[in-house]
Amino acid sequence: MTIPLFLFDALVYGALAVSSLAPILLLVLLYRDWKAGKLW
Amino acid sequence: MSDQAILDPRIAGVLLALFSVLWVFLGWWWGRNATGLEDYMLAGRKVGLALGTATAMATWVTSNTTMVAPQLAYQLGVWGMLGYSLGSVGLLLFAPMAKRIRELMPGGFTSGDFIRLRYGTFAWRVFLLVSLTYSAGWLVSLGTAGGLLIQALSGIPYLVGMTVILTICVLYTLLGGLRAVIGTDFVQTIVIITGAVIVGYMTLGAVDLESVHARLSETRPRLLDMLMPASLMFLFNNLLFGVGEIFHSNVWWSRAFAFGKGVGFKAYLLAGLLWIPIPIAAGFIALAAPAIGLGVPRADMVGPLVAAEVLGAAGAVLLFIVVFSAIASSLDSLLAATSDLVVEDVYRRHLRPSASQGELRKAASGTIVVLGVLTWVVCVLDVTTLAKLLHFTGALVASTIWPIAAGLYWRRTNRLSAALAMLLGSIGGLAAYFAIGFYVAALVGAAISMFVVLLLTWLRPGRFDWRKLQESEG
Repeated sequence: MTIPLFLFDALVYGALAVSSLAPILLLVLLYRDWKAGKLW
Repeated sequence: MSDQAILDPRIAGVLLALFSVLWVFLGWWWGRNATGLEDYMLAGRKVGLALGTATAMATWVTSNTTMVAPQLAYQLGVWGMLGYSLGSVGLLLFAPMAKRIRELMPGGFTSGDFIRLRYGTFAWRVFLLVSLTYSAGWLVSLGTAGGLLIQALSGIPYLVGMTVILTICVLYTLLGGLRAVIGTDFVQTIVIITGAVIVGYMTLGAVDLESVHARLSETRPRLLDMLMPASLMFLFNNLLFGVGEIFHSNVWWSRAFAFGKGVGFKAYLLAGLLWIPIPIAAGFIALAAPAIGLGVPRADMVGPLVAAEVLGAAGAVLLFIVVFSAIASSLDSLLAATSDLVVEDVYRRHLRPSASQGELRKAASGTIVVLGVLTWVVCVLDVTTLAKLLHFTGALVASTIWPIAAGLYWRRTNRLSAALAMLLGSIGGLAAYFAIGFYVAALVGAAISMFVVLLLTWLRPGRFDWRKLQESEG
């Protein structure tokens, strides 16, 4: 049973979208921790 | 240059030198105030959410994720990528455990502390054997992978690449302890994910997914098959191997002890969620190879070859940096956590019970150096066979899943069940590895371990007092 094109698209674009957001989210969290004096 | 090298060795040499200086400087800078034992081994036990999440992600993104994910996609298709993504299940399941570990053992140091206090001396020694064997296998496999990947990507000789990456990781871990590891892990996480994403988008710029899908349907339809049996078997084995690795290894326990109060659950949960798409983002580029008309002489080089084809020299540089960062981010964590295990559970608990904090601090530094030297010697002596050690440790680590999970939550689980579960699970898993194949070792090890824990807990229920775990404080 072959994976349909729309599912293949969703898998790849979804993975890239979430992966693109990850560094931004980590940097925002870092800034928040730093402001709160809770970096480590 | 080697046959498939995608990067000029002179450029690779400059990159190696630049990043080596960067990691060592950052490691020294972040760890320069870590004078006490707790500061050095556990980064002061107050690590925040951002650094906590990034270190969990970086440690779990190894060279395997960036290099083997494309290879698996190329060999096992869509399920190869998805199977790799299930590696995140271990991180997700460890999230509530990290919270419980911090609550039950606020002064704990290692996973060995937990097994010793929860199950007694015999089970603890069995556990140490399993855990140190796994750590040795992982260290050697990372050192070997470092040398081989640097050679494959740039033509720099194996011995040079392996020596550089091991020396750099030993140096900055030695200088700054866990603070150096966690700090550099953050930078490495950003570098790895950003690099993988850029390569992914550039690949999509060169060839659209409709063409990739159409070309695969014509030439290699089984890669798009949603019911490919070998891939499904790989998927479940990989899941259990990953869960076993994370549940037992001091790499993850030391972080649970190091994260600030209330951070462990959120950090592991977020790291697991953000990790899920990475093997897909890094792996799908391999499926584009037929559509862009790229010949792939070796499946393990498919990722770099596609990146170099799509991005040219810039792609080769980017991939080299990503791979170097991915190996360093795992190697440093493993060096620090294995050193903690050796110092706390072997040196302090077996050899020098009265050792002072200062003496233990020196022992921790010495152990990092010794581990680095031993790994280097093994990596020099034998490249191929010893790296395979990691494969069969799947049976060993999967046998620890039930004793760890039941021991944390189930008062009735007794000492005998834990020791026997690890022993029989390891033996059964290894037998399956040699009799059937690598893809069933973790499955069999975990199944036997589960059966033993459940049966013996039912036959001889204990009544553990959770307060006994507090003895590890100090």
